[in-house]
Amino acid sequence: MLQTEEIIRLNGIYKRLLSNAGVKLYEGEGKIVGPNEVEVTQLDGTKIFYSAKHILIATGSRAQRPPIPGKELAITSDEALSLDELPKRAVVLGGGYIAVEFASIWRGMGSTVDLCFRKELPLRGFDDEMRAAVARNLEGRGINLHPRTNLKALVKTEEGMKVLTDHGEEIIADVVLFATGRIPNTKRLNLEAVGVELDKIGAVKVDEYSRTNVPSIWAIGDVTNRMNLTPVALMEGTYFAKTVFGGEPCKPDYSNIPCAVFCIPPLSVVGLNEEQAIEKAKGDVLVFTSTFNPMKNTISGRQEKTIMKLVVDAETDKVLGASMCGPDGPEIMQGIAVALKCGATKAQFDSTVGIHPSAAEEFVTMRSVTRRVSKPKTNL
Amino acid sequence: MATTLSAPKLTAFSSSQTLQTLCKRIPISLYPQSPSSPFSVSTARISLLARRASLSHRHRFAARAESDNGAEPRRYDFDLFTIGAGSGGVRASRFAANLGASVAICELPFATISSETSGGVGGTCVLRGCVPKKLLVFASKYSHEFEESHGFGWKYEAEPKHDWSILMANKNAELQRLTGIYKNILKNAGVTLIEGRGKIVDPHTVDVDGKLYSARHILIAVGGRPFIPEIPGSEYAIDSDKALDLPSKPEKIAIIGGGYIALEFAGIFNGLTTDVHVFIRQKKVLRGFDEEVRDFVAEQMSLRGIEFHTEESPQAILKSADGSLTLKTTKGAVEGFSHVMFATGRKPNTKNLGLEEVGVKMTKNGAIEVDEYSHTSVPSIWAVGDVTDRVNLTPVALMEGMALAKTLFANEPTKPDYRAIPSAVFSQPPIGQVGLTEEQAIKEYGDVDIYTENFRPLKATLSGLPDRIFMKIIACAKTNKVLGLHMCGEDSAEIVQGFAVAVKAGLTKADFDMTVGIHPTSAEELVTMRTPKRKIRNGSPPEGKDSEVKAAAGV
Repeated sequence: MLQTEEIIRLNGIYKRLLSNAGVKLYEGEGKIVGPNEVEVTQLDGTKIFYSAKHILIATGSRAQRPPIPGKELAITSDEALSLDELPKRAVVLGGGYIAVEFASIWRGMGSTVDLCFRKELPLRGFDDEMRAAVARNLEGRGINLHPRTNLKALVKTEEGMKVLTDHGEEIIADVVLFATGRIPNTKRLNLEAVGVELDKIGAVKVDEYSRTNVPSIWAIGDVTNRMNLTPVALMEGTYFAKTVFGGEPCKPDYSNIPCAVFCIPPLSVVGLNEEQAIEKAKGDVLVFTSTFNPMKNTISGRQEKTIMKLVVDAETDKVLGASMCGPDGPEIMQGIAVALKCGATKAQFDSTVGIHPSAAEEFVTMRSVTRRVSKPKTNL
Repeated sequence: MATTLSAPKLTAFSSSQTLQTLCKRIPISLYPQSPSSPFSVSTARISLLARRASLSHRHRFAARAESDNGAEPRRYDFDLFTIGAGSGGVRASRFAANLGASVAICELPFATISSETSGGVGGTCVLRGCVPKKLLVFASKYSHEFEESHGFGWKYEAEPKHDWSILMANKNAELQRLTGIYKNILKNAGVTLIEGRGKIVDPHTVDVDGKLYSARHILIAVGGRPFIPEIPGSEYAIDSDKALDLPSKPEKIAIIGGGYIALEFAGIFNGLTTDVHVFIRQKKVLRGFDEEVRDFVAEQMSLRGIEFHTEESPQAILKSADGSLTLKTTKGAVEGFSHVMFATGRKPNTKNLGLEEVGVKMTKNGAIEVDEYSHTSVPSIWAVGDVTDRVNLTPVALMEGMALAKTLFANEPTKPDYRAIPSAVFSQPPIGQVGLTEEQAIKEYGDVDIYTENFRPLKATLSGLPDRIFMKIIACAKTNKVLGLHMCGEDSAEIVQGFAVAVKAGLTKADFDMTVGIHPTSAEELVTMRTPKRKIRNGSPPEGKDSEVKAAAGV
């Protein structure tokens, strides 16, 4: 209830932000009918046409449901955030951030949680060492992990929902959450008729300035499926406004964008992960890690190690990437991201005195190289 | 001539065991070519010692080079003898040993309360400071978290109760574990650990409970101790050592002091449902901190029920028949305290170390005077950490210890760098800071832009509690360099660390702003402060409300 109140409050704040800026807000479904024309179908069904010099598509994305028999029985993250009741038993399908976050949330509230994902580890695309840490932590907190597993069918029974996996397992659940990905909201926009190009999954194709192939039509945010993070959408929006109305064409910079996964404990990263660094660096890569049981756990008795990592270019001493899986990771990573973005070196990190006692100080006290990875020499 | 001198009958000096030991080790190569009469031998020895002293002063960095001379026999028991196995002492000793030096370190036997005769490996930080304090902060935060949890749907039959004895037992077990780890660290580094009270006998000799050890270099790293001023009834007062190890939780406590220790304990005891009163001499707490932070933290702490008595100094402590304490102050008297705690400062542990006798210069408040290389006035004696009263933080003692090890044994004279040292106060809410305060920035740079945010963190929107976060970035108007960053609110210490790397590296506000935020966090606010709250030009803000605030702050 409080959460709904808060969402309504924030909704109101956003409306005020727009009106204070002099932006006219129309409620209804928008559709593009020409390079400079938008049709809005209002709540009562009537249609109004507006012409504009520029049209910006920022319709975001929505959760997708995989074609599994019984898929109508499952929910997506939208419903998950507004359930009437906490599920006693939950099955989560997916290995991405949404899947692990909900698994952690429900487990934290006391539910029995089974997490099924296609790969060996969750969070594909993240640093492998961090992925392993996340998996360990999820298990440590009592979530049942089912790696290399997909769901075959959902069947409604008296005891609840019977979930059949492709390993032949049967799990009874009150709620099944599909968190297998989100797809851009471009179906009802009429984009094909106007000639706006989309990619394979239906995302709007844009150039570095967020312009589509139609000169007066632009797109930003999740609908373009670049980096689907709020602060990135904010950045894209800001740069769009500067380019089109500020007279200074500028491209958003996608390098060294930090992000976080709010599983418990959370994961946060910025820059290149170890695998990417090894691939991209010209020479050797130095990996510094610190793994420890945080101070609080020494008294609480919880066995849950925090892992922190810096990946450094051996030649230039530049810190190519930083990652952390442990309490407060996201809060800690923000400041690290500023340093990394500006090309800080390991020496600069090391010359910064630590704040004690904290977990964050580990980032400035990693003295010894954990491993040095040399680029394999290729014979032409 | 040299061979005759190497095994002489010592006359006037034979009584000095120390001198004999030293003489046995005088390298043949340094012997002057003088006549062999007994008198001139003695003169030769005196002048030799004097020459040695002046040599080591002029060629202090050649200390290592001397020992590299393969033909020389060992002259001292150790290359380095450290008195005090705390943060600075252990760091210096360990790294010196890693660099090939022979090192010994002495430390008093372990006790939770420090004294002339008790201490423990790990020092103040591990045993009576940072670590136990942080553990108690963790313990005390739960009550606020229980309160927050209701807004998130948590219900329970009764409010959870706290058992002080469990906390103390677990805390003490952890300290034992940590002191053991520190002992292992020293052992693994090959440092000889000697238990006992070290005292300097001469520039190259330390006496530990009667046994003498000679060393090329002596490092004093004995730290400091809490100081309780003498007022009538001060024997009833406790200090931070005792506060960390009380037999039972205080019911009502008077904490005297306005510094970080006072505020941290105020938060700890308040969180454990003690009735907390803080008495400070000044108008505001945390003298030296950014003015807006001083106001903000006091307000947030008051909202949690802590009562501040400002411009009120203690005059006496009276004990009544029922055992409760009354604190008499310059403004009246407050009764009913179960405990009165002084957190009015710490003093360096320089008494009875033999310092005055050996000629180590000290400051007025008893700290050891050192130069930028941690060198005392005596050529073979060095000092790091709280005993030098420079920046009394564990990571700084570590930095000083490491720099000294490099200077002495890596042939790299290294000065610790005191610029942009971040620090935290673990009050509730906590404070994190790096760089200059607004007041310092205006003084040093004149034209500065001030960015501030004061907001309700996401969690508080559901918990319903009045928690807020304050953040401030101070940028040089001319270069846009970030001169200082301050934060007061949940997670401040963890958040500020990364920003400290940026500030130390001289990054600008524009650098901060082009960093994408991590969402949703509190930290992201620090990279999204678009408009300055005020612009200070020529040392004064534009006319208006702000200038009144500045005037009041004495700027």
